[in-house]
Amino acid sequence: MDSASQAPNQSNTQRPSVGEPVTGAVTGAVTGAVPMLILEDITQDYPGPGGSLNRIVEGVTLAFDRPGINMLLGPSGCGKSTILRMLGGVRPIGLQCPTSGRIWIDGKECHDQHDDAIMVFQQYSNRPDLTVYENVAFPFRLKLWKSKVKPTEVKERVDHMLEAVGLSDKAGLRPAQLSGGQNQRVALARALVLRPRILLMDEPFGALDAQTREDMQLLLAKLHQEQPCLTVFVTHDVTEALLLGDRVIVMSTKPARIADDFYVTIPRPRNAEWLRTPEAQELEKRILTQLHASSGKGQVRVSI
Amino acid sequence: MWNPYRQPSSSQQSAMSAIAFTVVLVFWTILSLVINNPTELPTPWETAAAFVRLCWDGKQSMLLSASLWSIGRIAVAGLMVFLIGVPIGILMGGSPLINSVLSPLVDPFRSAPVAALLPVLVMWLGIGETMKVVFLFLGAVVYLIPMVRDAIKAVPQAYWISAYDLGATPFEAVMKAVVPMAKPRIADAFVAAVSIEWTYITVAEYVNAESGLGQIISNARRISAMDRIFATILVIIALALLTYRLMMIIKCKLYAWEVG
Repeated sequence: MDSASQAPNQSNTQRPSVGEPVTGAVTGAVTGAVPMLILEDITQDYPGPGGSLNRIVEGVTLAFDRPGINMLLGPSGCGKSTILRMLGGVRPIGLQCPTSGRIWIDGKECHDQHDDAIMVFQQYSNRPDLTVYENVAFPFRLKLWKSKVKPTEVKERVDHMLEAVGLSDKAGLRPAQLSGGQNQRVALARALVLRPRILLMDEPFGALDAQTREDMQLLLAKLHQEQPCLTVFVTHDVTEALLLGDRVIVMSTKPARIADDFYVTIPRPRNAEWLRTPEAQELEKRILTQLHASSGKGQVRVSI
Repeated sequence: MWNPYRQPSSSQQSAMSAIAFTVVLVFWTILSLVINNPTELPTPWETAAAFVRLCWDGKQSMLLSASLWSIGRIAVAGLMVFLIGVPIGILMGGSPLINSVLSPLVDPFRSAPVAALLPVLVMWLGIGETMKVVFLFLGAVVYLIPMVRDAIKAVPQAYWISAYDLGATPFEAVMKAVVPMAKPRIADAFVAAVSIEWTYITVAEYVNAESGLGQIISNARRISAMDRIFATILVIIALALLTYRLMMIIKCKLYAWEVG
């Protein structure tokens, strides 16, 4: 019996309230089933100068068991992206990753590259030589997806995704002819066209201007409603975390530890009006208190 | 104000080129008239007359026949450079392990006198076509391989990571995400390699000179026909320039996405 099935599963099936802490030995196990994704006591060291070890992540235990948007919030450089890449199976070459601890997906320990999770990065990584359509269809050129998705289904899926992200009329253009927001839509469509069970987003809207970022947040909320999947979204923007997250996990500065972990059960879309409510202000204060308590050098962004 | 990023207009560029060309021509004319010895420095019109005689001597066009031979050798060596050098460069760029094995063997040759290899190749391969083509190949491939390797390494890692995350095998990630991004730089490397071949053509054709532009120069040297030598050198420069321009046009057409 693996440790995923040994994880304590609480039988609390009630909807949590806003700000309710996520509790449990393996936190988040609230539905009674084996959590879809578990990080068990993860620690990550990187080689530092003079043969020393630089601890990036320390003792992080998390479980995700519902197809919600989980915000991993923390200051820049605190180790959030390292955790996300571990989940995605994209690990640095020549480095044991994680240094200690285990990652479980559906009760199976995950050691390497896997196709359960797809990542969206801040850099769009759209191929400039391919059109928007070809970029979204790019994964189907790979052996893995060729064997899983029939060629007749590819066009149907890509057309659907282009429509979902509002780029049907730009299918023939190349990335250089698109704006930053449109390029990020292409990257998002390329990930979602694979219908992943787990979507990992590494500060995907960090390089966009405020208006485009807000549009992208609304788009993500809409796409998530249409195609629910377990989403882990890394951000250093408190406002973004509150506007998008079903759950907010606050990380301390390096080494990353969990400083707070709570639900935000207000239905999306949440707007600026909601951010001004006492409830939202209280959550924001709570996050900032936790971040200040960890007294780091990293920075978080708070939009007013 | 001087601005290194401001491009002159096409008419300005043409005018500047014409001025540079005229200055060289005037300088050459003056110098040749001062020296007044066609076996040392022919005048531009003596060179032009030699060019006409090479083009048609009443029976045949020596220049056309020689040019075709030289172009043929450059083409065969170029094909070899492409088929052998590009895959090795991609392997070196895609695998740090392969790079650390091959780099000490390839990199020093970039600054080595490749012409010094000629006697060795004559000993090994004789004085026929094989020796000439292999010499041209070696002269160019030692430049091409590191350039292709660097082109692969210059592709941002984000493309590799993204493809790998989408489920690509490491080989697929290199071939389907990294190499396509490096293609314009690989094309530049190939264009440079062919240009280098042109610089070595006369050396390659010097040994057992039976045909080619190098043979014209070699034979003309024996009778001190400097006007022929100058005419042939100018033809080589023109052919190299033409090849370069043609390949750049093809490259721009193939990779139009790079320039938008």
